[in-house]
Formats: sequence, C-alpha cells, structure tokens
Amino acid sequence: MDDLRLLFVDDEKELVSAVVERLELRGIDGVGATSGDEALDHLREGSFDVVVLDVKMPGTGGLEVLRTINRRHPEVKVILMTGHGSAKDSEIGRRLGAVAYLEKPVDLEDLLTTVDQAVNPEGNGPDGQ
Amino acid sequence: MGNDHRRPLQREGVLFFGDVIAGLSHELSNVFNIINEIAGLQQDIVGGAQPESAGVANRLTELAGRIKAQVERGETFNQFLHSLAHSVDDANIAFDLGDTLELAGSLAARPARLARVELVVHRPESPVTLVGDPFALLLTIFGSIEVVLDAADSERRVEVNAAPHGDWARLFITSADPLPPGVVDEVAALEIGRLSWGAAHTLDPPPPEPPRRIILDVPAVAPALKATADDKGQEDPDGN
Repeated sequence: MDDLRLLFVDDEKELVSAVVERLELRGIDGVGATSGDEALDHLREGSFDVVVLDVKMPGTGGLEVLRTINRRHPEVKVILMTGHGSAKDSEIGRRLGAVAYLEKPVDLEDLLTTVDQAVNPEGNGPDGQ
Repeated sequence: MGNDHRRPLQREGVLFFGDVIAGLSHELSNVFNIINEIAGLQQDIVGGAQPESAGVANRLTELAGRIKAQVERGETFNQFLHSLAHSVDDANIAFDLGDTLELAGSLAARPARLARVELVVHRPESPVTLVGDPFALLLTIFGSIEVVLDAADSERRVEVNAAPHGDWARLFITSADPLPPGVVDEVAALEIGRLSWGAAHTLDPPPPEPPRRIILDVPAVAPALKATADDKGQEDPDGN
C-alpha cells in the first residue's frame, strides 16, 4: 500500500490527527479532514484512492459526501464508519456504493485490511476477495 | 387534577432518557476511540525507538497496551448503555429475545458482582423473535434476576436460560439456593411483564418444596398488539 493516498474524515480532530500520523508511520500518504465540506475540498484539489468517512458529522454528513463522491469522483473507493447499531446507515451506504462499512471504534489494523481489500479486490485479502 | 398526565409524562420521560443517554453514549464512544488511537500511536512511535532506550520503550508499550485494554472494557459498558438507551425507542417492534436477555444480564452483572454471586446468562440456542415492548420485557427480566440474586448465597451461581415454548418463550431464572417464601409476591417487574406482555410466572418446584427458580412465560406477540392485528384481520378477511 506504499503508493496509496487515503483521506480520513471524522469530525473529531484529535482522532483524525492520531490516525493520520499512524498512517504516515506505515508509509501511507494520509490526509485528514474534520468535516464533509473539508473532505470535498481535498477531493477537488487532489486525487485519492480511498476515502474513509464517518457517517454522522455536523453539517455535510457522510452519506451526502458519499453521494457527491459518486457523482464527481466515481473512481474513489469509500469506506464508511458508523456508530454501534447504526444498521440503517450502513444499509443506505451500501446501496450508495460504499465498498465497506466499519463499526466504530475502528481498529487501525482492521481498517488497513479493509482498505487493502478495497483497492485490491482481486488481491490477497484475508477472505481471498 | 387527577393523574391522567402521568402516563404521557412517563412515556415522554423514558423517551427523553433514552435519547439523552444514546447521545452521551455516542460521545463517550468518540472519547474511547480517540484514547485508543493515541495509545496506538504511542505504541507505533515507541516501536521505532532506538535500541539503547529499549527498557523505557518496552515500559511505554506495555502502558499503552493497558490503556487500550481499559478502553476496550469501557467500550463494552458503553455498548450496553447504548443498547439500553435504544430499548425504549419503539414499544411495538420485533426483536430477538437473546439480545434482551444479554442486555439484562449485562446490567445485572454489577449487582451480581457486589453480591459475590456468579451470574450466567445463556442465549437461546437459536433466535427467538418476540413482538412487543422490549423495554418492558427488559424490566421484567432484570427484576426477576434481581429477586433471585438477592436470595442467592455468596459464592453461588444464578443461571438464566430461555427457549421457545409453542407460541411462547419460556425463561428460567435459577438459583443454586432455595428462594424464600413469598419472594415474588411484590415484585413490580413481574407486574409490568403481566400488564405489558401478558407474561405469567410460576415458581419451581411448586409448594411445599422450596422453589429454586422462577419460570417466566412470555407470548411471542404481546396481547395488545395481537388484538390489534386480529381486529385488522376481521376488517379485512383476506388479510391484505
């Protein structure tokens, strides 16, 4: 995943900063955004392979950002993060084309496995997908 | 003025608590998430430390691991809180009895620990779907467990089991110790079960033997809801 460019979006600034730093320590080009609008700005300005997106955020929510990504950046893979028991959001997200859904709190290693499966669907993921 | 306002007030009050607790639980979850990631970052940084500082690095890694273990523990409690908050959302819903049993057991874990009683809750072997008010059933099960816990001696075990029983579900709350006479006579939770679910309870074994368990029979569909469905059926013989 050395050439991977990942956008991590969550309204919790401390979370975003810790995750981005951990991604960088693993050699992944991670960029953080703390709102849906900031995420869309980043997507306008540069290209990303994967966007990891919190569903519930103040202002422009994750599902709205996902719809915009589908329209403007259909090549980008989107992984959604939702709170415990938010099955309805995850179902909507799947219908909108999110490649995966993770329940918060998300373990970084699980996230990286999911990202790997998203960018290499024919590759060597744990499920052989 | 009579007490007519009490019922809507109580329902609104319960919904208010559920809503507020769900929101706070969400915020707590964010806090746990952040602590977890910062501890993970500490582990990552220390993992790349120079060999000469290996002693300190190992100690910091161990401490980060302990922080993460406590976060995991906190998040488990938080998920119970979240489930409890959402149990009041809908008083007419299909749900799995196993989830409600598990939640009741989780909420009763602390009183059990304080009483030094081992509480073991078994989910039914396969899902048992009930239709009605999950919060009312939760109160009924929790109250029944509390009664049996109170009667149990220290260092003993209380077990909760459930299985389908025709159109009903049958729950067993069993103590290793005999339950005192009249133990269920004034248990409000059982009255809630009767009123909201038409649930019936019996003590086993029957008198004159000292009982060791409460058997709780709960219909698969709460009677008030079943009556409504039957009325609709009469209005529309084709059931459409």
